[in-house]
Amino acid sequence: MNGTRRGRIEHRRSGLSRRDFLRLSRSVAIGAVVGGALPGLIWLDNAVAAIPASDGYILVDTKKCQGCMSCMLACSLVHEGQENLSLARIQVVEDPFERFPDDITVEQCRQCVEPACLEVCPTGALHVDSAHGNVRRVDVDKCIGCMSCVGACPYSPSRAIWNFRDEHAQKCDLCVATPHWKEEGGPNGKQACVEVCPVGAISYTGEIPVQAGDEGYKVNLRGSGWGKLGYPTD
Amino acid sequence: MNGYAGKILRLNLTTREITVIDTEHYEQWVGGHGMGSAIFWDLVEDKSITGFDPRNVVTIMTSPLSGTLAPGASARTEVQGIGVQSYPIGWFTRSNFGGRFGPMLKFAGWDGIAVEGKADEPVWIDIRNGDIEIKDASHLWGLDTWQTQEEIWKEVMGSAEFGGWMQLDQGDNERRTTQRPAVLAIGPAGENLSRIACLIHDAGNGAGQGGFGGVWGSKNLKAISTIGTGSIEIADANALMESRLWAQKWYGMHVDHRFGDRQPQIVVWDRPEEARPQACFGCHEGCRERYGTGLGNESSCVETDFYAHFDKRKHGRQTEAAFIGADLLQKYGINAFEAWRGLEYLAGLNQRGILGPGREVDCDLPFDQLGEVEFAERFLRMIAYREGIGDDFAEGFVRAAERWGRLEEDLQTGLLRYSYWGLPTHSYDPRAEVSWGYGSILGDRDINEHGLNWLFWWSTTPAWERKAPPAPAEAVVKLFAEKLTPFEGDPLMLDYSSENIYSPHMAKLVAWHRYYTRFWKQSALFCDFRWPLFFNDATPDHRGIAGEGEPRFLNAVTGQDFSFRDGIDIGRKIWNLDNAIWTLQGRHRDMVHFADHIYEVPYSGLDYPSYYLPGRRDGEWDYIRVNDRHLDRARFEEFKTEYYTLEGWDVSSGWPTRETLESLDLAHVADTLAAGAVLGG
Repeated sequence: MNGTRRGRIEHRRSGLSRRDFLRLSRSVAIGAVVGGALPGLIWLDNAVAAIPASDGYILVDTKKCQGCMSCMLACSLVHEGQENLSLARIQVVEDPFERFPDDITVEQCRQCVEPACLEVCPTGALHVDSAHGNVRRVDVDKCIGCMSCVGACPYSPSRAIWNFRDEHAQKCDLCVATPHWKEEGGPNGKQACVEVCPVGAISYTGEIPVQAGDEGYKVNLRGSGWGKLGYPTD
Repeated sequence: MNGYAGKILRLNLTTREITVIDTEHYEQWVGGHGMGSAIFWDLVEDKSITGFDPRNVVTIMTSPLSGTLAPGASARTEVQGIGVQSYPIGWFTRSNFGGRFGPMLKFAGWDGIAVEGKADEPVWIDIRNGDIEIKDASHLWGLDTWQTQEEIWKEVMGSAEFGGWMQLDQGDNERRTTQRPAVLAIGPAGENLSRIACLIHDAGNGAGQGGFGGVWGSKNLKAISTIGTGSIEIADANALMESRLWAQKWYGMHVDHRFGDRQPQIVVWDRPEEARPQACFGCHEGCRERYGTGLGNESSCVETDFYAHFDKRKHGRQTEAAFIGADLLQKYGINAFEAWRGLEYLAGLNQRGILGPGREVDCDLPFDQLGEVEFAERFLRMIAYREGIGDDFAEGFVRAAERWGRLEEDLQTGLLRYSYWGLPTHSYDPRAEVSWGYGSILGDRDINEHGLNWLFWWSTTPAWERKAPPAPAEAVVKLFAEKLTPFEGDPLMLDYSSENIYSPHMAKLVAWHRYYTRFWKQSALFCDFRWPLFFNDATPDHRGIAGEGEPRFLNAVTGQDFSFRDGIDIGRKIWNLDNAIWTLQGRHRDMVHFADHIYEVPYSGLDYPSYYLPGRRDGEWDYIRVNDRHLDRARFEEFKTEYYTLEGWDVSSGWPTRETLESLDLAHVADTLAAGAVLGG
């Protein structure tokens, strides 16, 4: 945490924020395209087409979720060392007046087989981490703050999120890098949201979910214990 | 100290001044009630004013744990100020509520709010991070609490898509959230200055006791909305995460694996199957639900009790009337206990031929329709809008009975089930569960604190079902007694037999409970339903998390080194400050007594015909039936003397003494009491 904060201060001292840099770099990119400098982009496209699928995925049961936001708090806590809903890489949104089950949405990163966020990243900051089960991750040192990934994610709310505190993009890394939690994370380890969910409404799988629609990612995790509570299990 | 946002918002509605109090100034009180009492003490010069006086200050406080992963301690928000519900004096009192308001206030950068003065026209407060505006609420005035919240959501969120990222601030800082603002609002009952009006947040979170809805109404304050994108700093994030997982593993519910008869839901009505549990922010064990019908969302406990009985009695089964009745309570913003006990009282008067069209108490409510939706709508509307005799109901049913000339008689017979300070009796009657009643009459309100009350549930429900209790009484009492610091190791504190209920042991139990709740529940803001857990069926030694968990979470967040005892000691200090405020309001020992029926009419059981608690019978511990007794007036006076002596308060008046206050570093409080000639000798 301290390192990040120092980095932010130094960044500010330079008088050029990541967002400023973005505006500059966007102009450069457009100029470059007009100038015919396309090979880099083509190279990126080819790389995307060839990337391996993630070894792991987070699944949620929106009918089982009790809306406590503990997953968001845990996510922010282990990654940032702070509690901040806006920096959580899983988002739960509720409408207390709505009918069940439309009163809650749970939106987690899908670790897409064809990740739009990665495709648009101009610097390779958003990358496939082959050392950690091919999780789609943001290398914050390479992130220039262009927010292209935030805009490219086809889902709402965008699963690539803007860390306005430290001024970089971030997304779910399956807890590969949790500087504030001593557990081993990633595809072979534990994920904070899965561990903390008090009702078992979040799970982890190594199987690639069906990519089209929500069906593969929003699943039924309700067992007989849930039925004993008097809740629907179908 | 970590866990704070660092600032408390001070709003003067009269002058429209918005100023900031440094949280650090009140850090010794940690949060919640302690901070609220201290701020009230500093800001309200004349403590003898009524709750409706514009000089009354209402504090809305969080704790360092608010908005964190501390289980069952993230969501509560403590409301304090001079109330308007209790009788004969509206005491300085408290109420708290769950949901997500407190956390959202912290994320916006505020540890609490102190509201003073009175706006010259209806206003609402719009908090978006550090941007605070006092806004015109003329378009919201008249709306119910749910409509008000939805209107404010629209106003704050603009055209933002529900569930998408919304940029919170104007400008270029890209602070975003997917969340709706958290809004605390009053309904028509509060607008019409009812003494039994609540503050309501989301569908079913209410600060019900004290009549703070009416207090807000008198200040022309319709709602406070807050939304934020900031962070809460955690001293030791790893310790907080690991502690949370430890608590869940050993003391949680494990719904999929190890699930016995215990149910997390605290709802009394017959619930539809299409539902989910719904938890307050950060809670490990949600206690209410949302339904496929959309009726009854987030109501729990007494709100689900209020109309279900009448509904079942009318129809022979439960209908949707029970749910609609609860929703109307939430929308109008009416205290569920007053509505419930009040309606029982009206029905009793009607059965006796006293109340009805053209009767001694002229009331045109159609009691042949009691249990129908239309009756609930009519009854609650009468309270909310002071329609007809509803003008009396809106004053609370003790003041209504006084207007009808029936107060003395109906408190004597117990037809009016209001035991302490003109407030409705909880189902845990003072004649049976004395610790509940004593705590209430020695304080300011129906305590509504369930830590010791689990003794009743563990012993009584198995008896109802003819099952063995989870553990023998002596073993359970031993587990409880070891946690009752600084009086630990005295199991006689938990002997509810008639021989022991006026003893110095019982005085120690009541004192411990006052200190524990004042700090750990109402200042650190651990939820009443989930803390303290004394007994745990998942661990081999059956020891609950109480005493160990509270400081562990507080220290992980704050980085301090609080012991359980430290919290108890701060709780004692807060309790003494509160008693000083009541003393300045006019309290004297002579006023501290129950309604007559508590001394004169044996407790038949009413809600619980078989009421068991631990106690000794012929020297042996057992779960003993405590129905069929009433309190002894003279012996209760002896108990008060024991209690005041234990507290170091003046025995003849119940007023704090200089010696005690100075030992608690409250010499300035003693000076104020001395100046008012109410310092105990």
